[in-house]
Amino acid sequence: MARETAVRLSNVRKTYRIGEPVHALDGVSLAVPQGSYTAIMGPSGSGKSTLMNLVGCLDTPTAGEVVVGGREVGALGDRERTRLRGTEVGFVFQTFNLMPRLRALENVALPQLFQGVDRTERRERARDLLERVGLGDRADHLPNELSGGQRQRVALARALVNDPAIVLADEPSGNLDTDTEADILDLFDEFHEGGTTMLVVTHERHVAERADRIVHLLDGRIERIEDLGGAADGATTDPTASRTSESGGDSE
Amino acid sequence: MNPLESLRLSWRSIRGHKLRSALTTLGIVIGIAAVIAFVTLGASLQAGIIGDISPDDQRNVYGWAADPDTEGGPLAGAQPVFTQDDLEAVEGLEDVEAAYGYATIQTQAISNGNETVAQGNGLIASGPSYIREDRLSAGSQFEMGEREAVLNPAAANQFDENVTVGDELTVTILGGERTTLEVVGITDTSEGLSPFEGFESSPRVYVPTDPYYAEQASGLGIGGGEGGDGGSDGGDGSGESTGEGDGSGDDARFLAIIVEAESTDQSDIDAARESATAYLESDDSDASELLDDDLAVTFQTSTELLQQLQDILDLLRNFIVGIAAISLLVGSIGIANIMLVSVTERTREIGIMKAVGAQNRDVLGLFLTEAVILGVIGAILGTGLGLLAGYLGAQYIEIPLVYPLEYVALAVVVGVLVGILAGLYPAWRAARTDPIDALRYE
Repeated sequence: MARETAVRLSNVRKTYRIGEPVHALDGVSLAVPQGSYTAIMGPSGSGKSTLMNLVGCLDTPTAGEVVVGGREVGALGDRERTRLRGTEVGFVFQTFNLMPRLRALENVALPQLFQGVDRTERRERARDLLERVGLGDRADHLPNELSGGQRQRVALARALVNDPAIVLADEPSGNLDTDTEADILDLFDEFHEGGTTMLVVTHERHVAERADRIVHLLDGRIERIEDLGGAADGATTDPTASRTSESGGDSE
Repeated sequence: MNPLESLRLSWRSIRGHKLRSALTTLGIVIGIAAVIAFVTLGASLQAGIIGDISPDDQRNVYGWAADPDTEGGPLAGAQPVFTQDDLEAVEGLEDVEAAYGYATIQTQAISNGNETVAQGNGLIASGPSYIREDRLSAGSQFEMGEREAVLNPAAANQFDENVTVGDELTVTILGGERTTLEVVGITDTSEGLSPFEGFESSPRVYVPTDPYYAEQASGLGIGGGEGGDGGSDGGDGSGESTGEGDGSGDDARFLAIIVEAESTDQSDIDAARESATAYLESDDSDASELLDDDLAVTFQTSTELLQQLQDILDLLRNFIVGIAAISLLVGSIGIANIMLVSVTERTREIGIMKAVGAQNRDVLGLFLTEAVILGVIGAILGTGLGLLAGYLGAQYIEIPLVYPLEYVALAVVVGVLVGILAGLYPAWRAARTDPIDALRYE
């Protein structure tokens, strides 16, 4: 049973022109199957952030194709791209990036607000997700009343609220201490096992090792792909690697 | 995102910066309050003035001689040129019902029996029909040549024991001379009866020009020298006496005269005005001796005089509304400034919202809503404050309160408009913020 691809990059090139043209990404091809857990590693300047921005539909490639949730990002207008980002991508940031004046519940519900989801429905969904990340009793707290680990859980709940094709985590444990880091990564594992597609950018080996495979970036190219044995997921133009998976389903 | 949600989120961020929002709103509050307070006062003042013209006043034309280039209200630049002869001749004209002089005699005090009150307003000397019969609440008009007076309620009630018809009062003229008068009537209003008097409520004593003005002007009868009767109203003209029983060599010349037309029809009024002017400018009149290129006779109805006053009021109001509008402009710049600061400060929040799927129009809507909320709050508070200030002002200068509701509505509209205009550019900047940069923003 061939698995669908959540995100696919085909020979993607991204060039910034700040004086000298800089090739942030120089011909990257990568397929991220649904339900997979991929880590991206690389030194700074290797193109991690650019890759994140492209997969997160925040930016468009200079050349090549980025397909997210079955749609080619480069071909979309700003509005469509924003819509795709809102529905198919969930962000988890190093600095949490919660809205400071919104309560935990409202932060989680925020992406659905922009999708025009009814208020009651929104709140129900957000409350449910907060329960699942273990913050059911913190729904009415403001971000500054929460610990770092709790904030990151709120952020994770927010990333999941629209049931996205992929969750993008950028150094998700960078601002956390060792214990909370373990907690949040356990939570990632938990959701991954529930079928969520995870893409984590990190420069820490032990964080990356939670994934099925590690993609090493260097100077805008994929240096190598390290398979951690979970599955033989396709890492190049051939996304046909298979794994018996409950694609997208909620099989806790 | 629906408008209600925008409202909710915007309100949240306004409450998040209470002091800043309050100060921003203050500019709008002051601007709108100033506009409303002053248009309220202006409208009230006009109502106070226009409401005071009794219909029977409409047949009067008020005349004086002044340099034609003089600007201003009634009596501006007026010179005493009209003699009693002139008035009698004018009254004899076909189109004229009555003509009499108008003058004020400066006074120091009025005594009723043993009680004396200060009275600086003076005596108002004019003809009997100056006070219309239907303006009397008691008694009758005074008669020419008699030492009689009609008081208004404010003058009658200023004594411990109210003055009534039949009482005798002693008046101390400026300079110390005393004269007596018998009260023959009380009017029904304490406000002025003609534009010559002004319109404010104050104690007034109406007397016949003869004998009071004639005596004062000629320096006879009242018992003092000519220098004793002060003021601009002192006649210094010469001519033949027509005053009954005074027999003085000097006749009073009047600064101001009142000519009554036969009816309130505009054509009758114009006819009376024209014939009176024609006579006074002809060689038959005493006044013509003094009239030349720089001194011409002007006759105006109280409506026309009010129009001048109203023009001045309008000018004043426009001026103040202009100042208030500048304050509104400053207020709107304040809003724009605060919104720009707010956009910069919340760059990261904008980035977050865009990352989780906020469209440009959502962000635009949020910031615009915020600016409009500030504008509306400012407009509402400013309207309240302005209405209150207008009320207090009207109370203070004792005029009837009139709220120009169309201006109140306008103020609210302007508040919203100011909010939109001031918020548009910052909101647009917020909307086109690049989420990648915004998320990186520290």
